[in-house]
Amino acid sequence: MLETLLIAWRESLEAALVVGILLTYLARSGQRSAVPYVWVGSLLALLAALACGLVSNDAASHLDADLQELLQAGILFLAVAVLTWMILWMHRNAAGLGDELRRKADQALATGRLVSLAAIAFVAVFREGLETVLFLWGVLVQRPDLTALPFVAAGLGGATLAVATAWLFFRGFRFLSLRRFFRVTGILLLLVAAGLLVSGVNKLIGLGYLSPIVAQVWSTAWLVRDDSPLGAFLAALVGYRSRPSLAELLAFVTYVPLMLWALHRVDASRAPAERAAARSAA
Amino acid sequence: MRPRTSLAIAFALLLGVAGGVAAEDRTVPLAVEEAGFAPAEIEAPAGARVRLEVTNRTAVAIEFESFELNRERVIQPGQTAAVYVSGLGPGRYEFFDDFHQQRRGALLVR
Repeated sequence: MLETLLIAWRESLEAALVVGILLTYLARSGQRSAVPYVWVGSLLALLAALACGLVSNDAASHLDADLQELLQAGILFLAVAVLTWMILWMHRNAAGLGDELRRKADQALATGRLVSLAAIAFVAVFREGLETVLFLWGVLVQRPDLTALPFVAAGLGGATLAVATAWLFFRGFRFLSLRRFFRVTGILLLLVAAGLLVSGVNKLIGLGYLSPIVAQVWSTAWLVRDDSPLGAFLAALVGYRSRPSLAELLAFVTYVPLMLWALHRVDASRAPAERAAARSAA
Repeated sequence: MRPRTSLAIAFALLLGVAGGVAAEDRTVPLAVEEAGFAPAEIEAPAGARVRLEVTNRTAVAIEFESFELNRERVIQPGQTAAVYVSGLGPGRYEFFDDFHQQRRGALLVR
């Protein structure tokens, strides 16, 4: 039963953390009107995961296992693209917010941005939600009587615990100044995107489409085991794995510096405009 | 350079990784049954590109997972998934069913 709780916690954590970042960001940046989009994305994903769980025991409805995996890799890369765009506009937004926040209670977001928020929430929740549903569904099928109830309760408890973990994590963020808050959430989202990219690369390697180049570059299992709570937390947040292949590392060290550079460019292009605005205000 | 251009470059770099795929695959069948993995231990030569064909013969979804092989795959009942591992050094690489953790096995690379 404890095992059920732990598995459900681990599977739900990534979804809870990603949704948590989005909600915390929107609340703090005075864009509360966008919050329902995150919830709608999450809810739709939960329903979709449940629907997939329901048909999971009907073998005829299955896509080929490897095709499913390829599809998942494709969704991951798409999510990385949307998240990348989101990080850039959030960064562009955040800069101007400092003073505007006091003037405007709420800021309306363009439709494309709202949809991207819903889409990221959907992918995060669906990805992990489907695994949780399949796992719990299996528990239910194996014990088709009342003895399954404590296990299902433990599973739901694990998912609740994941939400609590994310909530506790982001509570710590309220102590950050607005400026630092935007920087930290930006970096976190960037690492989440890098983690999703690495997961997608890992899937393509597992499917035999990509070479790992070097199967295991190092092992940090002595420091943080993949199955430890910290390992699970880091895996959920930034895609931590103790024995990465060179191909995965390359994806990471290509994406992160490129994004940091792109964010820096946003700052650089804004600086003159801000100076001009300050001059005209004075 | 615009962010979009940098993304295109990143993607091109990723595709470049696809180049170094070895020629010959060794296929190793592996079944997941109620009692556990069958066989519980499988073997492969060091450095080879190995295609594990994992079949779920149980009635519910399983997750083939290995921290040591850096792989995880949810496999639905009755389905077979190909899980590639390649370029492994000699050693013992453990795997398990993450959804039913009493099921454990290992890949012996010599």
